[in-house]
Amino acid sequence: MTSDSKRFLHPEAVQRIAHLEVRARHIVEGFLSGIHRSPYFGQSIEFLQHREYTHGDDLRHIDWKVWAKHDRYYVKQYEEDTNLRCTLLVDVSGSMRYGSGPLSKYDYGCTIAASLAYLLLRQQDSVGCVSFDDAVRVTVPPRTKRNHLQSVIAALDVSKPHEKTDLYRILRTVAEEYPRRGMVVLVSDLLAERDGLFRGLRLLKQRGHDVLVFHVMDDDELDFEFSGSTRFEGLELSEHLSCNPRALRDGYLEALHAYLDEVRRGCAQNVVDYALVRTSQPLDVALATYLSSRLGMHHRN
Amino acid sequence: MSSFVNPTLLWGLLILAAPILIHLINLMRHRRIQWAAMEFLLASKKKNNTWIKLKELLLLLLRLAAVAAVVLIVAQPLLQNQLGRLFGDTKTNHVVLLDDSFSMSDRAGTSSVFDEAKSLIGRLGAQAARQTTPQTFTLLRYSRAGAGTTGTQYDMLKDRVDANFDQKLDDTLRRLAPSQTAVGLSPALDAMAQFLSEATGEETIVYVVSDFRARDWEEPGNVAEGLAQISERAAQLHLVNCADAARPNLAVTALAPRGGTRAAGVPVSIEVTVRNFGGTPVENVAVLLSEDGRERPAVSIDLIGAGKSETRRFEVFFATAGTHQVTARLQGDAVAADNTRYCLVELPVAVSVLVIDGDPDARNARFLATAFRPGGNARTGLEPQIERPDYLNKHALDKYRTIYLTNVERLDNPAITALENYVKAGGGVVFFIGERTAARFYNEKLYRDGLGLFPVPLLRETQLLVDRLEKGADIEAAPEGLFSIFAGERNSFLAGVTVEKYFSVPKSWSPPADSGTQVLARLRNGDPLAVERKFDKGHVVAILTTAAPLWNNWGRNPSFVVALLELQSHLVEAGSRDESRLVGTPLRMALDAARYQPRVRWLTPGLGEAGSTTVDAPIGPNGLDLSLAETDAAGVYELQLSTTDNQVESQRFAFNVAPDEGDLAIVDRDELAGRLKNVRYDYRQAADFHATSHDLAGSNISDWILYLLVGILVGEQLLAYSASYHPKAKGAPA
Repeated sequence: MTSDSKRFLHPEAVQRIAHLEVRARHIVEGFLSGIHRSPYFGQSIEFLQHREYTHGDDLRHIDWKVWAKHDRYYVKQYEEDTNLRCTLLVDVSGSMRYGSGPLSKYDYGCTIAASLAYLLLRQQDSVGCVSFDDAVRVTVPPRTKRNHLQSVIAALDVSKPHEKTDLYRILRTVAEEYPRRGMVVLVSDLLAERDGLFRGLRLLKQRGHDVLVFHVMDDDELDFEFSGSTRFEGLELSEHLSCNPRALRDGYLEALHAYLDEVRRGCAQNVVDYALVRTSQPLDVALATYLSSRLGMHHRN
Repeated sequence: MSSFVNPTLLWGLLILAAPILIHLINLMRHRRIQWAAMEFLLASKKKNNTWIKLKELLLLLLRLAAVAAVVLIVAQPLLQNQLGRLFGDTKTNHVVLLDDSFSMSDRAGTSSVFDEAKSLIGRLGAQAARQTTPQTFTLLRYSRAGAGTTGTQYDMLKDRVDANFDQKLDDTLRRLAPSQTAVGLSPALDAMAQFLSEATGEETIVYVVSDFRARDWEEPGNVAEGLAQISERAAQLHLVNCADAARPNLAVTALAPRGGTRAAGVPVSIEVTVRNFGGTPVENVAVLLSEDGRERPAVSIDLIGAGKSETRRFEVFFATAGTHQVTARLQGDAVAADNTRYCLVELPVAVSVLVIDGDPDARNARFLATAFRPGGNARTGLEPQIERPDYLNKHALDKYRTIYLTNVERLDNPAITALENYVKAGGGVVFFIGERTAARFYNEKLYRDGLGLFPVPLLRETQLLVDRLEKGADIEAAPEGLFSIFAGERNSFLAGVTVEKYFSVPKSWSPPADSGTQVLARLRNGDPLAVERKFDKGHVVAILTTAAPLWNNWGRNPSFVVALLELQSHLVEAGSRDESRLVGTPLRMALDAARYQPRVRWLTPGLGEAGSTTVDAPIGPNGLDLSLAETDAAGVYELQLSTTDNQVESQRFAFNVAPDEGDLAIVDRDELAGRLKNVRYDYRQAADFHATSHDLAGSNISDWILYLLVGILVGEQLLAYSASYHPKAKGAPA
C-alpha cells in the first residue's frame, strides 16, 4: 500500500468519502427521477432490452423478428457505447478550504466532481480525475467501470493543500496527458492568475476538448458580509490584513466583480461553458448546468 | 482663563482615554479569518486606505470631542469677561435694589410681598456664597437712596461673601420692614449710577426687587433712562417682581377741612375721601373717625365703585382753640399703611378780620363788623377790627386772615406795598367802593394796568337806571364762583336787593384770559358788580358799590350776611395753608431766633416719649434752622419749643402716606417691555427666579457646549455612516 492510500484509508477520510458517495448518488438519482425520458441511449453492439414501439420511434430500430412472432412492434434498445470521455479537474488548493457554511469550497467542489463522476459512470461514460493545487496531485485515468468511482473519490482527498500558482501549467499538463478529445470539467475557485487560466483554457479548446468551468465561490467571498474588527489571514498568500471589513466592503466588491466579469468574458471568448456556483446553492443547480451543457453538446455533436 | 462651577468634575476628562483604549482593545480582540480572496481585499485596501485612515482619525477626534463636551457640560465652564481673563479672578458684585415703599407690605395670608422679597434676597445671597470667584453683596432700599441729609445709606455695601455672610445677610434682612414712603426707583438708580461709575474691573449684577405696580411704570421717564444706563454698565440687570397678584385695597386718600371759618366753638366741615383700588365695587365701607383721640360716629359709605373714589363731609366741633387732630381709619385690608389718615385742624379763639374805612364815621365798616359778629347765640368765629387807612403802613398784617377796605379814598405807597405783600403771601382783601373813592387813584396806584392788586379799572360813579317795566333782580350772580349759591330762580332774598349807584368799568374791559380774574356778579344792565382776582397766592375781591346801604339796600337784606360770610370763608380757604405733608419728605422750617431757644424736642408718632429726640437747632440766615429728616412713619409729629422767656410751646405736623401708592395693579410684562425699550433686562416673578450659576458669575457656556455636543454627535453619526460602520437595512440593495 502506498502512503497515499494509507492517508486515503484514514477513518475520517473514509467516512467523508463514503458520505460523499452517498450524497452524490442521492443528488444524482434524485435529480434523474425528475426526468421521465432519458435521452441518453446511444448505438451499441450490446443489446439491452426490447421496448414496445411508440409513436415517434425510429422505424429502423423496430425488431422485425419479434413482429413476425408476436405481430407487435418492438424496438431494440442497446447499451450506449462510451462516446464521452470526461476528465474532472478538481482544485484542492489551500484557497478551496474556505467555507462559511456546512460545506467548504473544497467539499462542494469534490461533491460536484463525485456527483458528476457517479452520473457519468452510470451512463457508461468514462471518467477520469485530476486533482491539483500548485501541481497535479493525483491523476486517475478515465474508466467506465462502476467501481471506478472509488478511485475518483480517493483522488480528491488531499491532506496538505498547496497554493496554486499557475493554472496554465496544470491545464497544459492535462492537455498533454489526455490527447483524446473529450470533456474537461474544471472545478475551482479560479483564485489564480487569470492570463494563465485563459491560456490554459484556450489550449484545451484547441486540442478539441469540450471545457466546462464550475467556478465555486463561498457566499462570504461573494457578498463580504463581515462586520467588526477582523484579521484576514491569507490561505494561500502569506499576507494578512487587520481592518474593519465594512470600510473595505465596497472596494472589495468592486474588485471582485471586475474579476468575475473578466473570468466570464475570458470563458466566453474561449467558448468555455462557465457556471458560477455558490456553496450555499443546492448541488442540483450545478448538475443542471452540467446537463444542459451536455444537451447542448449533443446538439453540437 | 475660564473657571468652572464644578472644577473637580474635570477629572472626568480622563474618560477621553476611553475611545483610545476601546480602539486598542479592539485591536487585541479582533476576529481572525482564514481568507482565500485576499487579492480583492488588498486591492480594496490599497484604493481606500487614505480615505479610511482619514475618516477613522476624524471619527476618533469627534468621539473624543463628544466625551470632552459631556465632561465640560457637567463641569460648567464660566467664560468671564475680557478683563477677568486678563487678571484671573473677576470680582462679581451683586447689587440688590429693594423696593420698600408701603405697597410692598401687601399682605396675603401670613406673608407679605416684602417677605417674599426678603426670601428672594436670601436665596440670592446663598447662591452667591456657592460661587468660587470672589463675590460681594450690596443691598440698598429705595427709601435709603439719597434720603435726607445723610445721603445714600446702604444696608450692605460691597460686603464680601464669605463664610459668615449668610448669617450677616439674615440679620440684615430680619431688620428690614417696608417703610410707609412711596419713594420710587429713581433715587436708587441715581445712587446706582454713581456706584457703577466707581466699580471698575468688577462685574456687577443688578437686581431690582420690587412689586412693579402699574402706576409706577405709566410714565417711567427718567427711570427708563436710568435703567438703560445701568443695563449698559452692569453685566446683568434683573427685574424681579415679588407681587403675585393685585389684591383689592381701600385707601383713605384725603382728609382735610373744607370751607367755613375755622375757629374754636365753630363747627368745622371735614371731607374724607376713600378710594377703592380694587377691581370690584365695595359696599358698606365704614370710616372710623376720631377727634383728638376720642372715637366719634363712623361715616358709612354705601358703595364705592371699582377704581372710584367717594367723598363724604362731616362736621367736627372743638370748643377750645389750638391744634386738634382728626383721624380717619378703615378696617384692615391688603395694605395697612394707607388705611389711616391724619389731619390737624388749627383753631384760633377767633379769626381776626381787619376792616379799614376811609370815612372817619366808619358807617360802612360798622355794617361789615355787624355782619361778621351778629352777636347773640350766633357765633361766626370772626373778630372784626375797625381801623383807619394809615393803620396799614404801621402794623403787621399777617395776623389777619382777611382785610376789608371800604370807602377808601387813597392809600400811601407803604400801605399799598404792605397790602400787596399781604395778598402775595396768601391773604384775602376785599374792596368796597364808596362815595370817597377816586377812580384815578385806584386806576393809577392800585390797578396799574393789571399789575396792581385791584382787579378792574374804574370809570366813574354811575347811576343804575330804574327800569319800571322790567321786574328782574338788580344783581345777577354768576352761575359759578363765589356767589353761585345765589344763582337760580328760587332765591328771593337777592331779588329784593336794589342797587342805585355803582362804579362802572370801561366798556372795553373784560376779564383777561388766564389772569385768574373773574366776574362774580353783574348788574342787570350787564356791568360787573363783583370781580375777583387771584394775586399771587392770595385773592382780591372788588365790589363796586357801598357796603352800607347808601348806594343800595343790600346791607338791610339777609342775603348780605350770607354773601359776606361766604366771601370770608372763600378767601380764607383760598389762602389757607393746609399743608399735606408726605411721609419721607424732610420737614424744614425756620423760627425766630429771638423768640425761641435753640434746644428743641421732636416727638415721633406712635413711640411716645421713647421716640423723642432733642436737638440744638443751628442758627441760619432766617433764624433757627429746624429740620427733621426722619419722617418715615405716618402720623402726627410734634415739635416742642421753649421760648426765651421759658414758655413751652408746641407745634404739630401731620404726615400722611402717598394716596396713590395703595394702587396695587401690577404692570403687564408686555407693557413693561414697551416702556423699557432701550433697556436690556430680564424680568421674572420672584417665584420663578432661581439665579443659576449662569447668572451669578461670568457667562456660563454650558449651553453652547451642549449645542456643540449635539453637532458633534450628528457629525459622528454621519461620518460613521459614510465610513460604512452602520449595517445597511435589511432588504436594501447592497
